[in-house]
Amino acid sequence: MRHYIWLIPLVPLAGFLINGLLYLVSHRTKGQAAHGDEEDGHGEAHAVPPVAGSHDTVHGHAAHVHIPFKSVHTAVGVGSVGIACLLAFGAIFDIGLKAFAAGASHSETLYRWFSLGVNQAVGQVPGPLKEWVVDVAFRLDALSALMLAFVTFVGFLIHVYSVGYMGHEEGYGRYFAYLNLFMFAMLVLVLGANFLMLFVGWEGVGLCSYLLIGYYYERNYAADAGKKAFVVNRIGDFGFILGIFAVFSLFGTLDFEKVFGAAAADPSSYAPYMTLVCLLLFVGACGKSAQFPLYVWLPDAMAGPTPVSALIHAATMVTAGVYMVARCNVFFRLAPEAMMVVAVVGAFTALFAATIGVAQNDIKKVLAYSTVSQLGYMFLACGVGAFTEGMFHVTTHSFFKACLFLGSGSVIHALAGEQDIRRMGGLASKIPTTYRTFLIATLTISGVPFLAAFFSKDAIKAAVYHAEFAPIPWLPKVLYAVALFTAGLTAFYMFRLLALTFWGHFRGGTEAEKDIHESPKTMTIPLIVLAFLSVVSGYVGVPILEGGNKIGEFLKPLRMPIAGRQEAAHHAPISVELALMGAAVAVAAVGIYLAWSWYAKGEGRVPALLVQRWPGVYRAVENKYFVDEAYDKVFVRGLALGGGNLLWEVDATVVDLIPNGAAAVTKGFSWVASFFDQYVVDGLVNGLADTLAALCGVFRKAQTGRVQNYALVMGGGLFCLVAVYLLFR
Amino acid sequence: MDFSNIPILSIVTYIPLVGALAVVFLIPKEKTGTIKAFATFVAVLDFVVSLPLWWAFDRGKDGYQFVEKAEWIPSLGVSYQFGIDGISLVLILLTTLMGVIAIVCSYTAISDRQKEYYVLLLLLQTFMIGTFCCLDLFLFYVFWEVMLVPMYFLIGVWGGQRRLYAAIKFFLYTLAGSVLMLLGIIALYFYNTSGFLGYKGLGNPATFSIEKLTAVAQQMPPELQVWLFFAFFLGFAIKVPMFPFHTWLPDAHTEAPTAGSVILAAILLKMGTYGFVRFSLPMFPEAVRDRRVIAVMVALAIIGIVYGAMVTLVQKDMKRLIAYSSVSHLGFVMLGVFALNMSGMQGGILQMINHGISTGALFLLVGILYERRHTRMISEYGGLAKQMPVYATYFMIMVLSSMGLPLLNGFIGEFTILQGAFAKNFWWAFFAATGIVLGAAYLLWLYQRLFFGEITNPANAKLPDLTLREQLTLLPLVILALWIGLYPGPIFRVIRRPSEKIVQIVGGATAEAPALAEKTAAPGASGGGVAARP
Amino acid sequence: MTFAVKASDWALLSPEIFLSAAGLLLLAISVLIGKEREEFLGYLATLSVFVTGALVVFVALRPDRGMPILGGAFVVDNFALFFKALILLSLVLSILASVKFVGQAPYPGGEYYALLLFAGVGMLFMASGNNLISIYISLETMALASYVLAGYFKGEIKSTEAALKYFILGAFSSGVLLYGLSLVYGVTGTMGLPELAKKLAGAERSNLLMLGILLILAGLLFKIAAVPFHVWTPDVYEGSPTPVTAFFSVGPKVAAYAILARIYYVAFPKFHPDWGLIVALVSAATMILGNIAALLQTNVKRMLAYSSIANAGYALLGVLGFRTEWGLWGILIYLLAYTFMNFGAFTLVILLESRGYAGESVSDFNGLAQRNMPAAILMLIFLLSLAGLPPTAGFIGKYYLFAAAWKAGYVWLAVVAVAMSAVSLFYYFRIAAAMFFSEAAGAKVQSSYALTAVAAVCGLGTLLIGVLPQPFIAVLKSCVLSP
Repeated sequence: MRHYIWLIPLVPLAGFLINGLLYLVSHRTKGQAAHGDEEDGHGEAHAVPPVAGSHDTVHGHAAHVHIPFKSVHTAVGVGSVGIACLLAFGAIFDIGLKAFAAGASHSETLYRWFSLGVNQAVGQVPGPLKEWVVDVAFRLDALSALMLAFVTFVGFLIHVYSVGYMGHEEGYGRYFAYLNLFMFAMLVLVLGANFLMLFVGWEGVGLCSYLLIGYYYERNYAADAGKKAFVVNRIGDFGFILGIFAVFSLFGTLDFEKVFGAAAADPSSYAPYMTLVCLLLFVGACGKSAQFPLYVWLPDAMAGPTPVSALIHAATMVTAGVYMVARCNVFFRLAPEAMMVVAVVGAFTALFAATIGVAQNDIKKVLAYSTVSQLGYMFLACGVGAFTEGMFHVTTHSFFKACLFLGSGSVIHALAGEQDIRRMGGLASKIPTTYRTFLIATLTISGVPFLAAFFSKDAIKAAVYHAEFAPIPWLPKVLYAVALFTAGLTAFYMFRLLALTFWGHFRGGTEAEKDIHESPKTMTIPLIVLAFLSVVSGYVGVPILEGGNKIGEFLKPLRMPIAGRQEAAHHAPISVELALMGAAVAVAAVGIYLAWSWYAKGEGRVPALLVQRWPGVYRAVENKYFVDEAYDKVFVRGLALGGGNLLWEVDATVVDLIPNGAAAVTKGFSWVASFFDQYVVDGLVNGLADTLAALCGVFRKAQTGRVQNYALVMGGGLFCLVAVYLLFR
Repeated sequence: MDFSNIPILSIVTYIPLVGALAVVFLIPKEKTGTIKAFATFVAVLDFVVSLPLWWAFDRGKDGYQFVEKAEWIPSLGVSYQFGIDGISLVLILLTTLMGVIAIVCSYTAISDRQKEYYVLLLLLQTFMIGTFCCLDLFLFYVFWEVMLVPMYFLIGVWGGQRRLYAAIKFFLYTLAGSVLMLLGIIALYFYNTSGFLGYKGLGNPATFSIEKLTAVAQQMPPELQVWLFFAFFLGFAIKVPMFPFHTWLPDAHTEAPTAGSVILAAILLKMGTYGFVRFSLPMFPEAVRDRRVIAVMVALAIIGIVYGAMVTLVQKDMKRLIAYSSVSHLGFVMLGVFALNMSGMQGGILQMINHGISTGALFLLVGILYERRHTRMISEYGGLAKQMPVYATYFMIMVLSSMGLPLLNGFIGEFTILQGAFAKNFWWAFFAATGIVLGAAYLLWLYQRLFFGEITNPANAKLPDLTLREQLTLLPLVILALWIGLYPGPIFRVIRRPSEKIVQIVGGATAEAPALAEKTAAPGASGGGVAARP
Repeated sequence: MTFAVKASDWALLSPEIFLSAAGLLLLAISVLIGKEREEFLGYLATLSVFVTGALVVFVALRPDRGMPILGGAFVVDNFALFFKALILLSLVLSILASVKFVGQAPYPGGEYYALLLFAGVGMLFMASGNNLISIYISLETMALASYVLAGYFKGEIKSTEAALKYFILGAFSSGVLLYGLSLVYGVTGTMGLPELAKKLAGAERSNLLMLGILLILAGLLFKIAAVPFHVWTPDVYEGSPTPVTAFFSVGPKVAAYAILARIYYVAFPKFHPDWGLIVALVSAATMILGNIAALLQTNVKRMLAYSSIANAGYALLGVLGFRTEWGLWGILIYLLAYTFMNFGAFTLVILLESRGYAGESVSDFNGLAQRNMPAAILMLIFLLSLAGLPPTAGFIGKYYLFAAAWKAGYVWLAVVAVAMSAVSLFYYFRIAAAMFFSEAAGAKVQSSYALTAVAAVCGLGTLLIGVLPQPFIAVLKSCVLSP
């Protein structure tokens, strides 16, 4: 099995090709249909700008959009991912969990991508490495195995979910083609054996995210959101690629094994460069994983279909940044300053996004900001060196966040496109399955004891608490406080969401109320599975108990020992651990209680009061602190477009002067020259000319004074010649 | 295949010329159908004949292959000498392919004076191939200059509204650049033979052989090399075009007919970069090593990248937009070439091909749209994705390849170039890489404005999707883009040797400065690191 | 000086003698036949030129060529033979180009052809003049004939005016030239160029001598229309009948260059440094003013007049190059190329002429591509060659001239030259643009056999020298003077 890991990405790729071509074939001839998705549009249509209340008629009813090759699309789309999933688990168990934990890894090289020939490593460390090559190679080790497992599995579930959710979409085939392409890219990202393969997947998922966000391309904001996502990601990639150059120049190779091996074996000579390298790489991570200040694209990304939000913008793609940082932990551990930056950025983002989440009224927006916040958590973990804990949270998060998103999708589905929680409420009874799964996931994310996130978050908090930063000793405690507070906020806004959506009575009007219906099995089953996972998945990382932290054991090989450093394995007394847990539980409880009392029991009177008290604060929070507006003003309109227009002016005027100016000047001279030849010669010497003319009758016949003047010019010229000779001889 | 006794290069070069003459003398101008068919046949034939070169070419061999040599003007030392190395090989193949595409894409686009049109295209084809083939500086200059004439007429007769201005601007600007090169050539000639001014010549027999003159030029005193470098520089820099000599390009591209733009972007611009690689670098290594010269060249390249991208961002005319993006892309090529190391050099050469493919294809696509709607204004379009899904797909692929998405050709080029630049100096790569971000911005924005949103303009509501012929012109380019993106190895193998030679000559290895060491910690640290190693 | 006429002298002078006789004969015949059958005269003149050509060949084959003739007044060396050939070429081209329009003109054609022939005789003598006096005499012979030719259209004020100007200014320059000659003679006491060279080899430079040399230069610069002695050119070229203009723009210049080369290369090589700078300045001024002034001309004849001024400037680069053989090569091959391309251009103007002496405006070329494609292509070739683009005669010629200037160390001048030849493209291609880009104005253009022949010959020459220059160069190199 293990020898076929390269097939894992290729199967979805094949799916993409089949679906894509089929779609084109079935749509190429489609000529005059200038009208289009207007009717069979979709809830997300109204996601981004709160154009509330616009009801999408088609979704919900079985709309009668003819979809050519629908069954084929379904079979290929879902099937390919299913096969990939089977292959993945096959390969993983073929190697065996124990083996992974013991540091086993397996890599397959397909072919040599390119070789740059003879170059010298920068700074001669570790001495010139002659042939620089990059292979198309895949690698399966503990880390990638973990990612592979949940990416393929969650991916498969969401494909299944999409069958029901997108069933009425005219662009069904296109959707599945894109989704398969995404799976291909994501799997390349996970399985890539070197930085460039990682980057291929990295850009690939970016592209798919662009395509899927802009799936409703006829809606300008969807297209805008897609473009925004791609460009912001490109800014991140800008740092990432520079980081890759740095690695390439330092090590003369991009192969993970070689690179990290070299770095770990000879820390002292690489350490000086690592801060720069890590910061560059982290810029990339910020872009992909929506960290401050590059998080702005993720909320807008909700313009895409909900399954896409679940798969790409919650479960898999956005965690790529964390994966990359964990992958490069050797580098980061060599660059404490960089670690600190990561930790601080992570903590800040977690808090920042959580506060915004408190005041959002679009169901998907709330989830989006909670995603950003959770990602911040993960980076905080990496920042304090708790890479395994970070990955642990990545895993649990992928389950419960996917569950939440799919649940919200089910809600939107039920409400025929409604996304504004102010027009929901009391859905608990109407769509029970959705409600139950959603409730479980909410409890999980809020950190209720003995559910998945309880363990993973707790592990992170503990790690933060115990972390040590030599330069700023008090920093870890501050970070811990932030983390703790954020946990409370999370519990609060998640239960606010739950309360407004499912509890109380329905606020969406009666006619809308009639149509509310539970989603089909293809949608509910994935929900149930995910809910189940978000309950149990935590038990792979039980703290305190001996051997409870299985995932920690599993990911041990991730922390490659660095030469001449012994890992400070902190064994805090159980009492401290328990205290930390207690704090976490308490905070969560407070958050939940507040939400319940304000929104469920008190039906929002308290918040209304607060808003009246501090309207400015509320406006700022509700408008996400106006960050997007600022970016738009400064960078987009100001720098890019403004600068562009300015330079274009310059181009048309100043730069173009080179040819045009030269031409103009020459023409000017030309005019003068011919003018001189014809007239000036006259005017110059007219008087003389007349006297000469008077002397000689012949000239009068010529009817012109020119001749003598010509003669005069020639005489002058002659004089000049002589003069020149006398001067310069 | 063994071409030792067949003048294969001359055959490839002159097939189009013969074809053109045949059209002139044998086919009456009313028989447009016959003319098209025959012109296509000639171009395809030329392409087919040129293909074997790819397999017959010996990748492992240094120097030039398929060499043909004949006396031409012995009393001047001018010889008719053809021969190619890997660099010219790939460019020639690109040229022959583009020749076919240019002709096929004009069937319906060109309706008047068709005979002259196809004759000119074929002539241009011969001159371009000749330029890449010849190993004699004099002969090179002849091809280099005469190439302008057909292009001038293509723009001037079949161009847009401001075609006269564009045509003469193109002709004069490029000519003005290259006349100085003539003086440079004369200087080389005399330095090789009897000397001039203060310099006493080497007293060799008169020759224009590029190989010999290259060896000669390398022995010149540095200051003379710098002079001659700049004598050649202008000619090449204007052709490339490097900032600030690029302003002829937008006009020429915008006004030229589709085929003209395609040829211009895909091949003619490469003449400039090819000139740098073939002449400036190997001939004047002292000058190229000169820090000031490097500074100037790299500065111009990077300014070109960023400036070009910024200006591209705000264009309202599709062709003009792509034209400016060329300025940015060619900036990358120049940066790679003047990084003076293997990565940069190979990347630069590969990027020449990539730009030919991507931008050529983009001009084709724009031309297809122009043919349907007769406007180049972006604001005229929107929502085409629904109406022309196939067209939208091709366009997307080419946009992605042009903005350097992995697994497509553009990425390999940009990656290797920037890698080379980075190895030289962190900041070069830093500023150049901003071009990648901007590239994504302007290309995706263009795509969005053309294809996304509702169809607002009724004129677009009934646009037919691509015809088979149009797809046939695009398909080869898509395949190439994918091939180079997935498996560029073969191309790298072809350009490997010549690149190595050039890099050796300009002393790339020694010139490889420890960029990071400059940037981050004190050299002491890295030194210590080296010391610490067993 | 006293000398005995040797038998061989007659043989060596046979071309000149025959041509003079032919001219006289032509006059006589022209009295006998009427206007309507004048074409016959044209062909007769052509024939006589061909015979003369044959005689030149006969002379070229004689072993005793290169002997001084009439006591060293003339010499028929390869150099002279080359120029004779070139002059006869331009002569026959002019005659053929004239046939059509002399027929239309309301004036007797006999004297026209006769005058052409007489001018030819003068030029032939100039080519082989080896002695200050003989040079002057032959120069005047040529000049007088051309004055009358310029005014051939007696009725036309423009034509007569041109003639008068040409005459007066020509007289002025002849005076200058003669004065220079007399000064040189006064200083050295000898007239023969070889003797001069011997005498001056030892002599140190005196202002009087240098003044003489300068005045001679000035006189000759007038004939080749170099700045500042060019002022007459535009008016005279515009005013004269076009075939005559074509003839002026080629024949007399070629002959004048023959003299210039011979005098300065044979007699005064020693003083090169002294006149080098002056010639350089004149050359630069000529190239710049010629090209610049041509830019905005709307009258093709005037444009070509300025272009021929500019070309005179290029050729002066060769004169500068006299230190090395490059100079002479340059002049010879460039004049050869120039004869073909410039005459070709004028031929096309003649072809398009509505009336015999009408000034041609650029717009008259509009849409020539549709009206007569071959003509348009020929014109394009001439224009390309005039602009010095490969692969044409003009490029080869310019290459040699630039090389000569470079070799002689006048780098700045070479730069000016290339820059200016780039500028020249602008106005040459205004005609090209008119021919190919603008819509057809006027009917199809029919051409006469004679004109077609002339244009074809010129086009062939222009291309041949451009593509296969080797044989021409080989011949030229055998024609250089020995200082």
